[in-house]
Amino acid sequence: MGSSVSHAGAPPPTPAAAPPTPIPVGLATALPPNTEVQGDGKGVSEKVDWLNLPCPVPFEEIQREALMSLKPELFEGLRFDFTKGLNQTFALSHSVFMGSMEVPSQSSDIIKVPTAHYEFGANFLDPKLMLIGRILTDGRLNARVKCDLTDNLTLKINAQLTNEPHFSQGMFNFDYKGQDFRSQIQIGNNAFYGANYIQSVSPHLYLGSEVFWLGHQRKSGIGFAARYNTDKMVTTGQIASTGIVALSYVQKVSEKVSLASEFMYNHMTRDVTSSFGYDYILRQCRLRGKLDSNGVVAAFLEERLNMGVNLLISAEIDHSKKDYKFGFGMTVGE
Amino acid sequence: MGSSVSHAAAPPPPPPSPSPSPSSVGLAAALPRKQDEKAEPEKVDWLNLPCPIPFEEIQREALMSLKPELFEGLRFDFTKGLNQRFSLSHSVFMGSMEVPSQASDTLKVPTAHYEFGANFLDPKLMLVGRVLTDGRLNARVKSDLTDNLTMKMNAQLTNEPHFSQGMFNFDYKGTDFRSQLQIGNNAFYGGNYIQSVSPHLSLGTEIFWLGHQRKSGIGFAARYNTDNMVATGQVASTGIVALSYVQKVSEKVSLASDFMYNHLTQDVTSSFGYDYILRQCRLRGRIDSNGAFAAFLEERLNMGVNFILSAEVDHRKKDYKFGFGMTVGE
Repeated sequence: MGSSVSHAGAPPPTPAAAPPTPIPVGLATALPPNTEVQGDGKGVSEKVDWLNLPCPVPFEEIQREALMSLKPELFEGLRFDFTKGLNQTFALSHSVFMGSMEVPSQSSDIIKVPTAHYEFGANFLDPKLMLIGRILTDGRLNARVKCDLTDNLTLKINAQLTNEPHFSQGMFNFDYKGQDFRSQIQIGNNAFYGANYIQSVSPHLYLGSEVFWLGHQRKSGIGFAARYNTDKMVTTGQIASTGIVALSYVQKVSEKVSLASEFMYNHMTRDVTSSFGYDYILRQCRLRGKLDSNGVVAAFLEERLNMGVNLLISAEIDHSKKDYKFGFGMTVGE
Repeated sequence: MGSSVSHAAAPPPPPPSPSPSPSSVGLAAALPRKQDEKAEPEKVDWLNLPCPIPFEEIQREALMSLKPELFEGLRFDFTKGLNQRFSLSHSVFMGSMEVPSQASDTLKVPTAHYEFGANFLDPKLMLVGRVLTDGRLNARVKSDLTDNLTMKMNAQLTNEPHFSQGMFNFDYKGTDFRSQLQIGNNAFYGGNYIQSVSPHLSLGTEIFWLGHQRKSGIGFAARYNTDNMVATGQVASTGIVALSYVQKVSEKVSLASDFMYNHLTQDVTSSFGYDYILRQCRLRGRIDSNGAFAAFLEERLNMGVNFILSAEVDHRKKDYKFGFGMTVGE
């Protein structure tokens, strides 16, 4: 998410929410609708209503399209998800994962150990209140609350509790949505304070900035972000005082195909990564492929076998480290 | 295969032939045809008994149902026929292989290899060759010298010294018996003989001698089959007892079970499995007394294109192996 750029030097930032990826989401729902062209194509440019600019996307979702296309949830082994809706607002989910996870080793070899876990989850979704809880067999608990206090003010709470001491995290977010701006204040454990602000400056261009302060380590940082989008493309750029520059570009080539590319530079670790990917959204399946400058090739296929039954196939090959990860799975339920 | 029972204590026995499992093979092709029902019992023509199954294929049905080629990772096979007799095959495998470790943990390391193969198939002569990127070469020759005498050669060459193997087999097929003579490297000599004693029952025996280690052994095998079931038993002086039973429940379903006891290592394993052969797919599942479950699915997506899913869960060792792949070509 956008906010992770500035927090890269801090303790693990708020983990990105992991909702199941619905198939029909693409640029079509993200971009603003095509505004009508006046006057029979006479070449008269539209008049911009500078007092009535659209509300921008939230700051942490600036790179949303690029992330959805380029970072599918790749896995190795077997994954089985079952979601059961008890009524319109309440649903339970069961998720089983069995496969190999990498174990850090001293040599450059890659060692994997077979692991398995089961995750039980409950979701309560109301127009004004959303509660999500997940618990895993290794003792971790995730809880998320999103509550619309008023039409413009939203409260979000995010907590991750673990067995190990000092590894639990919690974060409070207060979001205020104005007419053409959004602002957010974040308070987290380990004395973490942050804020961000994003403003529409034109119908297509949004600019934003964020600051954060980490009490225990006496670190602070500031970052700036910009997002330019039209009907067919989205360009974002982010730069932060932690030494990270991130750029992304997504182009919607046709109804079914979009291409995305991303560039990330970390000044502290002198790490440069660039990736290029495609996203085919077809009727029965969604196929995402990615090629990286680290020599990584990945693909992720979600195929709809039946109403509510999806088959997943995930593949990742890292040619430079000679690491191969292949997995398949099934998702049942909405 | 049958001959591996007696050789269990010997250096690695000749590997079983890795023929691709065709979807339409089942008990139907192996069992003798059902004879017409008559009120009176049929007279057995004791001078005209059928020719028995080769000794190493005694447990063929049980092995095909219970031991599919499970794998972990990605597998892609492509077979291209150049003409009626000659075909080339390309096979890519990428995935995790287990590495032996001191602790009881299971460690896996990602590996990959590519295998190129060529097959020449004639009614009287069969040549199969495979070479892998890790330097191994497999070669097999099967030649029908006369109507009854067949010669087989099997060689596995590797980079590492003293690990290469070769074996010659001479098979003689009589009216109601088969006999085989084996000569291998490391001074390995073996012979086996199997005889039909009734239309449903075949009995066989084998002996082997290993020159370098001065080991020898003898084994006995029996196979009883009818239209719907096959039962086999094998005992060997190396201390191995192996029993198997396969029952054809219907046209599409057969159940198999297997029991193996090794007296020297006091190891007992029993497994039970099913084999569903449907029009578009073949699904084999198995449960083991070691707490291992396995399943193997081959689905025919298109003419010549098969999609494979392989899964193995070992609850006792907490080891999970999942793989998928695709096979293109005949």
